[in-house]
Amino acid sequence: MPSPRRSFLQKGLFGGALLALGGGGLALVPPKTRQAPRQPLLSLSEPSFQVLVAFAARVVVAPGADPGEIAAGADLALSYALPESRTDLDRLLRLFDNALVGLVLDQRLTPFTRLPPEEQDAVIERWRTSSLVLRRTGYQALRKLCLASHYTGEATWAGLGYSIPVGLNQAAYEDSKVGLP
Amino acid sequence: MTKLSEIRSSKNVLDGSAAATDLNLSADDCVIGSGAGGALTAATLAQHGRTVLLIEEGGYYTSQDFTMRERDTESRLYQEGMTRTTKDAGITIFQGKAVGGTTVVNWTTSFRTPPQVVEHWRSKHAVGGFAYADLLPHYQAIEERLSIAQVEPASMNRNNRTLYDGCQKLGWAVEPLRRNVYACQQTGFCHLGCPVNAKRSMLVTLIPDAIDAGARLLFRARAERLELSGGQVVRVVGTLLDPEGRQSTGRSFSVQAQRFIVSGGAINSPALLLRSGLDSGGLVGLRTFLHPVIASSAIYDEPIEPFRGAPQSAASHHFADRGEEIGFFLEAAPWYPGLAAAAAPGFGKDHAGFMVQAPYTATHIAITIDGFHDDVPGGRVSLRPSGAPLIDYPITPKLWSAFRFAQKRLAEEQFASGAKAVLTLHDPPVQLERGLDEAAIDQAPWQTGSVAVFTAHQMGGCAMGDDPQQSVVRSEDLRHHTVKNLHVIDGSVFPTSLGVNPQESIYGLARLMATRLAQSG
Repeated sequence: MPSPRRSFLQKGLFGGALLALGGGGLALVPPKTRQAPRQPLLSLSEPSFQVLVAFAARVVVAPGADPGEIAAGADLALSYALPESRTDLDRLLRLFDNALVGLVLDQRLTPFTRLPPEEQDAVIERWRTSSLVLRRTGYQALRKLCLASHYTGEATWAGLGYSIPVGLNQAAYEDSKVGLP
Repeated sequence: MTKLSEIRSSKNVLDGSAAATDLNLSADDCVIGSGAGGALTAATLAQHGRTVLLIEEGGYYTSQDFTMRERDTESRLYQEGMTRTTKDAGITIFQGKAVGGTTVVNWTTSFRTPPQVVEHWRSKHAVGGFAYADLLPHYQAIEERLSIAQVEPASMNRNNRTLYDGCQKLGWAVEPLRRNVYACQQTGFCHLGCPVNAKRSMLVTLIPDAIDAGARLLFRARAERLELSGGQVVRVVGTLLDPEGRQSTGRSFSVQAQRFIVSGGAINSPALLLRSGLDSGGLVGLRTFLHPVIASSAIYDEPIEPFRGAPQSAASHHFADRGEEIGFFLEAAPWYPGLAAAAAPGFGKDHAGFMVQAPYTATHIAITIDGFHDDVPGGRVSLRPSGAPLIDYPITPKLWSAFRFAQKRLAEEQFASGAKAVLTLHDPPVQLERGLDEAAIDQAPWQTGSVAVFTAHQMGGCAMGDDPQQSVVRSEDLRHHTVKNLHVIDGSVFPTSLGVNPQESIYGLARLMATRLAQSG
């Protein structure tokens, strides 16, 4: 029999209560729509996609960063993850935006997506330095998702002094026995 | 000669995603998993005249697919699309998923199992089925087949050279590494699959050998469970996956065989046994080892270009044996934009500022050695409701203590090699600009979610040994203690971690054991 699942989001009673608030019907205000997805979503719900767009806009400030593109790339990358992980991420994003959770944890009534940029940064900072492992790992999961989505794009390479080799000799290695005496 | 470009279209290679019907197959030996353990085993058995079917969940990618672009490849070549973590998300797990397994994406570092580790297994874990001397001819054969040779220090890239020089200046033991490459073109993209097949992975060596010897390969086929009757495995059943491996095609497969060899690697092999109801009294999944890793980035005045050249070519085992404290070894880690962006701390302008220093950044890692101390006993693999593996690996106080000590040593060697600043991967980071500051490192947030910890070495979970109360398979032939036609041949059988990068240890043990199986009929 499979053991009871306790994902990182569900760890601990407090985490479970937060999940219930974030994932259920208690969200007071829906996320603000910033950019409609340009492709059908593979992994995230539409509300969660909007939260990720807003999060990406604050986390990735490199030249040329497009929050909608970043969120779309993250949605594609997540399509290779376990279904459980996709569900976790979707819940995490709803939790991140949820006004009621914000009120309980941060004394704010406005959803993340509707905050001005400086206050969004303050929310992210509180998750980053929280005493709750749930919030720290949640911040890391979202942060990594956005940053990896952006920086895996070739448009970033020139600004990083990065490139890939050209003119490789692929023909030399066609024999599976190459190198044998 | 077998042309690598022709193998995928061989009649012996079956693409599960293209199957129009359910598949019912049979063989003398069914090997589940095509990585280091499975490929060696399949080739060895086939070369001894056995009919072999090799099953792989991942896709069959070739050098033509290895575009050196993270966006094209990482999700396809790693378990769970490179999102695998431990249960509390405290450790990121890099583990390959493709025909050839992790050997397709590893950094080519090749070590024989240290003799003292084999002795530790004999004395502490009742591993009496082989001696170190039994492994030697198999290491030699593998080293020849995979062109394993030591690199010249002059060929190290600067990411590795700074590690090498820093350790030498401090008087720490350090050595050039041995790599499984032939005429390496130094592209630096081992972790995205070698674009020129210079890396002698299983994909381009032992799997072709197995096919040449008549073995069949079925890929995009996820083994769900072993079905038992009368105390024996009678078949393995599973699901055929779509070309991207993201979901089922709705088709299934079933393989009947005289003998089944589970070679899914640590994490996946114990999960298959657990799904099959074979928990060995709670031992399966226990003592899973990860060689947990922390990193340190350093900025130099001169260009480092950590994305060029062999990813790893130097290592220091100076701190591998610390007595009652947890040992570790030092290596370098390459830098690619997506990977580095995820590992680099912070967000917003701070993060962007770190990224643009990439050409001048060297990243060195400390790989901790778990499983040799009661206070660092490894983790446990269990099952999620879907049947997928879940890895619980608590970072114990003893391990946190080792991380702190190792972080200081990393900074020390980076300053010794000329770094002008050192940055830990805490979030927020510790930035050192005037040499080592031990107090600053001590005061960093050493807690889950505040420091990047990752693993590229997964071991254990189906421990070998001669005491059925302490192990899952016996050590003389890696046969399950109670299921007589079931063997486990991969890194999951190690009773501890290794203290070295694991690929050659798996090759050597697999070749020894597969040879014994072949000779036993």
